[in-house]
Amino acid sequence: MKGRSTGPSRRDVLSEGVKLGVAGLLAHQLPSSAFAQDDLAPYRTAKIDWKQADGEQITVAVIPASYFENLISLQPQFEALTGIKLRFEKVPPGQIRQKALLDLSSKTATYATHAADPMYYPLYVSNKWVEPLDRYLSDASLTDAEWFNYNDIIKAWRDADSIDGKPYGIPYDGEVTVQVYRKDLYAEKGLKAADTYDELITNAKALTDANARTYGLALRGFAGAGQNMYIYPSLLRGFGGNWGGGGNIVVNSSEAVSALTWYVNTLGQYSPPAVRNWNWPDIADAFSQGTVATYIDAHSSAAVINNPEKSKVVGKIAYARWPKGPSGKRVTSIWNWGFPINAALSDKAKKATWLFITWAASAETQARTSWKFAGPAKRSGINRVSLWKSADFADAMKGAGDNFIQAALESLEQDTDVDWRPRVPQWPAVGETMATAIQAALVGQKPPKEALDEAQARIQQILKG
Amino acid sequence: MPRPHVSTLESQERRFALALFFPALAVLLLTTTVPLVYLAWNSLYRLDLSMPWLSGFTGLGNYTKMGSDPRFWNSLFLTLIYTGSTVVLQVVIGLSLALLVLRFPGGQGLLRIAAILPIVLAPVVVGMFWRTLVLAPDVGLVDLVTRSVGLGSHNWLGDPQLALISVIAIHTWQWTPFAFLVLLATLATLPADVYEAARLDRASAWQRFRYITLPLIRPAIVMVLILRMMTALSAFAAIFAATGGGPGSSTEILNLYAYRTSFSELNLGYGSSLAMVLMSITIAISYLMFRLRRARA
Amino acid sequence: MRPSAAHRQIALAAVAGFGLAIWAFPVIWGVLTSFKTERDVLAYPPVWLFKPTLDSYREVLFGASSILPNIVSSCIVSLSATIITMLFALPASYALARLRYPAKRASGFYVLVTQMLPPVGLIIPYYLVLQRIGWLDTYTGLTIIYLTFSLPFAVWLMVSYFEDIPFEMEEAALLDRAGRLRTLWYVILPQVRGGIAVTAIFVFLNAWNEFMFAVVLGGNRVRPVTVAMFNFISVEQTQWSRLAAGAILAMLPVILIGIFAQRHIVKGLTVGAVKGGGRR
Repeated sequence: MKGRSTGPSRRDVLSEGVKLGVAGLLAHQLPSSAFAQDDLAPYRTAKIDWKQADGEQITVAVIPASYFENLISLQPQFEALTGIKLRFEKVPPGQIRQKALLDLSSKTATYATHAADPMYYPLYVSNKWVEPLDRYLSDASLTDAEWFNYNDIIKAWRDADSIDGKPYGIPYDGEVTVQVYRKDLYAEKGLKAADTYDELITNAKALTDANARTYGLALRGFAGAGQNMYIYPSLLRGFGGNWGGGGNIVVNSSEAVSALTWYVNTLGQYSPPAVRNWNWPDIADAFSQGTVATYIDAHSSAAVINNPEKSKVVGKIAYARWPKGPSGKRVTSIWNWGFPINAALSDKAKKATWLFITWAASAETQARTSWKFAGPAKRSGINRVSLWKSADFADAMKGAGDNFIQAALESLEQDTDVDWRPRVPQWPAVGETMATAIQAALVGQKPPKEALDEAQARIQQILKG
Repeated sequence: MPRPHVSTLESQERRFALALFFPALAVLLLTTTVPLVYLAWNSLYRLDLSMPWLSGFTGLGNYTKMGSDPRFWNSLFLTLIYTGSTVVLQVVIGLSLALLVLRFPGGQGLLRIAAILPIVLAPVVVGMFWRTLVLAPDVGLVDLVTRSVGLGSHNWLGDPQLALISVIAIHTWQWTPFAFLVLLATLATLPADVYEAARLDRASAWQRFRYITLPLIRPAIVMVLILRMMTALSAFAAIFAATGGGPGSSTEILNLYAYRTSFSELNLGYGSSLAMVLMSITIAISYLMFRLRRARA
Repeated sequence: MRPSAAHRQIALAAVAGFGLAIWAFPVIWGVLTSFKTERDVLAYPPVWLFKPTLDSYREVLFGASSILPNIVSSCIVSLSATIITMLFALPASYALARLRYPAKRASGFYVLVTQMLPPVGLIIPYYLVLQRIGWLDTYTGLTIIYLTFSLPFAVWLMVSYFEDIPFEMEEAALLDRAGRLRTLWYVILPQVRGGIAVTAIFVFLNAWNEFMFAVVLGGNRVRPVTVAMFNFISVEQTQWSRLAAGAILAMLPVILIGIFAQRHIVKGLTVGAVKGGGRR
């Protein structure tokens, strides 16, 4: 007793050995719990107490989409890890912003967090409906900075979910707009992926044959803040325009008119007539049927066009970055679904929500919803640069087409621009107004300048209140 | 004959009636007064979620703003066109079809079953169906038809003029069977001997229709008009699913304008006042119809 | 006379056939689409003869986004709304149609008018109130909200049925010293059995087809089919075939009711029309 202070005695080692042996034996005999322990091992290396909000119950609102479905299937793992009861509610995409807004503004705390549209953060923050997350990130009891590695998350997306440098949402899934084209058709005509807008047009011209129902190019035309107002901003920035500044919004600058005119003319000449009504699933469908030779849209559309059930063009696809506009800039989208924390929650619930967010955005979960996922849909919109560059991801995405990861990653690292759309609290109304104006120009109802002037007048009114 | 007996009977009837009527009235008062008061209250305030610093009491400010809001007058105008055209179309088509089919007691069965289908479908499903399967450019039913007859492909829901026509068509499609079925059933109950007399008098088909049939089915037509007008005024789900009020504001009837203002643009104060106006219009028309119905009887 | 009569027959048949096509065809098209593979759906020229597949139905019924729980949800909401509505509406409409009491005209008009309240204006207050009581995403909460449009409608419809009954019936029963309640139960109600059936059918249909209230005031537990159908229109792609299958299944109950109860429905609709609304 007293003399045994230095080093393990033979007896200690033996007893340890026995314990280990027994544990090992048990591990083989009791698969479920033992495997659960192993399954969660990557999470347990984080130096935080996952169970600090044990017993809490949180509801998370998401849209029906495969990247969320994958996460939902991992819910038992989260519950086993933290003891927090997690419920997902799937809200139709057309209603989720409204439902979240209703909840946040009336402080009813129905949703602990929700899949948030990054353009809504200015609105959320000016009303103080969501928590600033910097204190969660810097709190060592809540976040193991090394393990979570916030800076590994794609910078553009982090910035999109932050206001004045403070993060308010953590990106979970995102996308980047890239050129998608038929490498076989291009090869036939000796074309290569466009590097400038003009090249894009020459390519489109060469591949458009209205009689044969093949068109060279398609871009979203459908009216909506998240539809045609998703492609237009890239064009605007490509032409060197911006949204005004200093609290004022200007939408009818000369660059804006040029961008819109380009949009209208291009769609009018080289796209199927129905494109004015098309959202990106429709474009992906048309491409997969061979009707369209090139389009610029979200990289995640790769899943649709590579679906052997529907697509006729599997194996004939290649990707490239946005072409450069007259200003020399390439601008892609910074779209991502991020999770904020509802400010109306109790403190313990907020902790529980933060644990959920770190879990969902962690490298391990991202991997488990992507290449490690047992089902067919492997997520392509993962949030961490390190994972984008990993060999596993490359392997999982190898069927997507040529240059997929490179085009997307380069776009993510070099072509993003946080102010690509005006980040103002009045975005919902402003976005709708712009979408209407763009539509009006696209269908030929008004010439671009007039449409933008009208939008400008309307937006001035909105800003006045 | 003895006075006390009559008044007891009366008061007995009154008590009984109130007992029967009260539960329903109570439920309705409970569930509708609170929202109504809330709505009216909100309409007197400036309440914009996207600009919280602007909130405050504004009295009738929202209502005066409406007067100079072109989008409001547009929505009023669209509501008028929408309601008017779809109701007229329903009655005319329904009546014509009923008259024509009257002679065909055999084929009626199948047609009546086909007619019941649009009526029972959920308007949101109808709107969605038409947007995706019927009016979609390229793969939609209508586009296939127009392309095969050489009329080409059109952006049925994306072009402002066509969109309005499309939503009117959708509503008419869904509710004409109602007019058809009701008028068919009514026509079938008309006495045959009157027609015999008319035929012997050598009255032409049109004269028979105008002077005999029409007056006899007038109550039915009025009833159909009233019901269909109510439905058209409160139409929401189908248009919402089909166009969302767009493109732009070309299918934005007052109902949808109020929804978009409240939920998309987050201007709750103004949206509430729009809803109040819509409600007043609907009540006014209900009242007129109510009186019309009583007057006829 | 003969030849033009034959021509007339043909013309009439053509018109009737046209009507049939217009009304039934979209539904038929939807049914066809639900049996196609996604590839066939997008094919152009459209395929009429294709290899039908039950995949979409299998996916919609038993797959990850199965709408079976939603069908159950719709059933619960619609049935409870119908039963409770009829319980309140029957006595109220009888009183309105046959009895005298103070403020009758005004209160009658009030009941009629409450179904005219725009849902747009009502959603937010309903959300707030239900949340405060804790009835959001519950069957109780949603059923009560549904009453706001079912009840006035049912009352209005039943009034015309009650007005149809000759007064002599009541007077005879009263003279026989039968109580008012027993008169109502044993004498009057059996007369309007048909009307009750029709009204119940309509109330059920309206409840089943409701969308706006269901999506805002419901949630995970209470999720009728009208909301669940949007599972197939995601931001990623429109799964045409599954959408069609989902829509068909969601509408199947009401379609069946429509087909089998068609005679009754029409009869019910014409009652008010023929009598011109009745009189006192």
